Amino acid sequence: MFFVTYVRRELRRRMRQAICIALGLALGVGLVVTVAAASAGVTKAQLRVLRTLYGEATTVTVTGPKWQGPSRPPKGTPAPQMGPHGPEICVAGGTCTSAAGKTLSANDTLTEGISVAKVAAAARLPGVAAAAGGIFLSESTLSWPKNGASTARRGGNALGARMGGYSLEGVDTRHPTLGPLGGASLISGRLFTAADANAHVAVVDAGYARSHRLRTGAVLPIVGPADANGHTPAIRFTVIGIVRQAAGTNPPRVYVPLKAAQDLMWIKTGPASLQGKVTTIYLAAASAADVPAVTREVARLLPGTKVTSASGLASEVAGSVTSAAKLANDLGRWLAVLVLIAAFAVASLLTMAAVARRAAEFGTLKALGWRTRRIIAQVLGESAAVGLAGAAAGIALGYIGAAIIAAVTPSVSATVGSDFDSGGTRLIGGSPVQTVAVPLHPSVSAGMIGLAVLLAVAGALLAGAFGSWRIARLRPADALSRVA
Amino acid sequence: MYQLTRVAKRYHKGRRTVAAVQDLDLTIDDGEWLAVQGRTGHGKSTLLNLLGGLDRPTHGTVELDGTSLGALPETRLTRVRAEKIGFIFQTFNLIPTLSAAENVETALIPLGTRSAARRRRVAAALESVGLADRAGHLPAELSGGQQQRVAIARALVKDPTVVLADEPTGNLDEDTRDDIITLLERLWRDRGLTLILVTHDTTIARRAQRVGVMHNGHLTIRQDSPNR
Repeated sequence: MFFVTYVRRELRRRMRQAICIALGLALGVGLVVTVAAASAGVTKAQLRVLRTLYGEATTVTVTGPKWQGPSRPPKGTPAPQMGPHGPEICVAGGTCTSAAGKTLSANDTLTEGISVAKVAAAARLPGVAAAAGGIFLSESTLSWPKNGASTARRGGNALGARMGGYSLEGVDTRHPTLGPLGGASLISGRLFTAADANAHVAVVDAGYARSHRLRTGAVLPIVGPADANGHTPAIRFTVIGIVRQAAGTNPPRVYVPLKAAQDLMWIKTGPASLQGKVTTIYLAAASAADVPAVTREVARLLPGTKVTSASGLASEVAGSVTSAAKLANDLGRWLAVLVLIAAFAVASLLTMAAVARRAAEFGTLKALGWRTRRIIAQVLGESAAVGLAGAAAGIALGYIGAAIIAAVTPSVSATVGSDFDSGGTRLIGGSPVQTVAVPLHPSVSAGMIGLAVLLAVAGALLAGAFGSWRIARLRPADALSRVA
Repeated sequence: MYQLTRVAKRYHKGRRTVAAVQDLDLTIDDGEWLAVQGRTGHGKSTLLNLLGGLDRPTHGTVELDGTSLGALPETRLTRVRAEKIGFIFQTFNLIPTLSAAENVETALIPLGTRSAARRRRVAAALESVGLADRAGHLPAELSGGQQQRVAIARALVKDPTVVLADEPTGNLDEDTRDDIITLLERLWRDRGLTLILVTHDTTIARRAQRVGVMHNGHLTIRQDSPNR
């Protein structure tokens, strides 16, 4: 085809200029693709953390307000203190015994409970496909060695105790996929069923199972609240399943039915008790379009709570992942835009210069009877070919940029739950603020490739348009007189 | 047939006005060979541009077969050039990236001729100028004379009624010049073309039927030659 032949030959003649224009476009486009890939990777990292915490199916979460109750444990709860002969534990009535060889545990949460009736009310809201309540507890332990030696030097606290703990999630067994368990993969045993609602059964995280040598069927003792005598008996939970969450996340270690979690709370009565309550409501909207309305309705139903949609959850994530997101979205985006503008400008100038040099050629074609628009089509065809080459090179540069980012910054830190900071000392050990290392996987999607092609070709055609404007104004007699 | 009536063309160069062609009346019959001589800057090329519709007169009319070229819209004027007028330039004006055959083909593109027919006509045109064996050569691979032959083939491939040649031998050596003029003359006779040829060379001009001299924008017909 004559048109293609002419374009090909002309680009071959102006190979250096064509390469220069294509490389300029490639640089701009590559930067756009890299920034977009990094941004997508950061967003994925954020969502990865959030899905671990809130599950795949959850689109809206509701959490109760910060706990505003007393900072001291209820009366009668065993409490450690430093006695005349070393650390000791004191129970109701003031009786104190040596803490040597003992473990003190407590399960606590840092948000106020939400009535389960509200969970049912939320489930009936229009646009809500399912609703489930969950309880997040932080089990904290203090343990003393049998020989009474201080463990302060080995990382213990001032009372000579080694601190420990883990997070525990109470799951609505009718909707196990709503909540953090929804993001887990079952690797052994089974998950909860509705029949487990009142049972002392547990699903544990694979890492926790490995470190505590737990298998399906094993017994996991979890310390319950203190009785009237101040004793804290351990409740025996049977492990029915072992799950694995996404690598680099820090999910709850143990999952138990909701009723069991309510009973484990060390405060049994009063406003701090979780009887008949949950700390979080997980909602699944019927569709993405319903999310805004559901968010509004839930906020109206539950004033004073924190209602967050899936997209809003991303703003909950702090840490270097957020810095990376800002870098990609702000600096990266503007840098890419500036480079693109520069590339377009250079391409336009070079194309206009080339058209000027070819004035006699175009004047001859006009003399031969070529219409202006046909000559313009020829120039635009050359520009489009350069644009496509720039797009291909830009996509390749984008992939390289994404690979470099993945290699240089293999993971970022994500912190979730800063609103849960207690500001007090109710807890000993353990914090609901979770900082996890999340792998950063910048990814180039088909949409980005399409955008790259569009930008490069648009930039090249823009340059061609400037040249075409010169052609349109070209008078054949003037063009031919330049040769003479 | 060309009919020029009180044609004038003026250019503005800064504050100065240059009258390239002044008050020109001229009739050129179908099949006539008119040579136009004159010194540089006296309006020869401007006259050729007006005849070819590459420029529009400031005053007066330039009619080709009863159609005023100056009054036509650009698209129709372009169409007239595509169908009826062939150009031959002093510097050949071949597209450097296209082969000899492809350069000749450029004259057929505006006519919408199908590619198979284009190839046939191109081959015939190159054959008529003796360059059938150079069809695939780029202009840089051809001598000056060969390039001008390609340009002649390009001008004639569309079977025009008019050929306008602006110093077609200006860049050629003496022997090649003779060859080119002889070729042009033969083609003019064989095809019954209207040939308007601008030249400095008096020996070439004398081979035409009529010779005109441009001086300060005025055309004077010096004499009718024996060819008339």
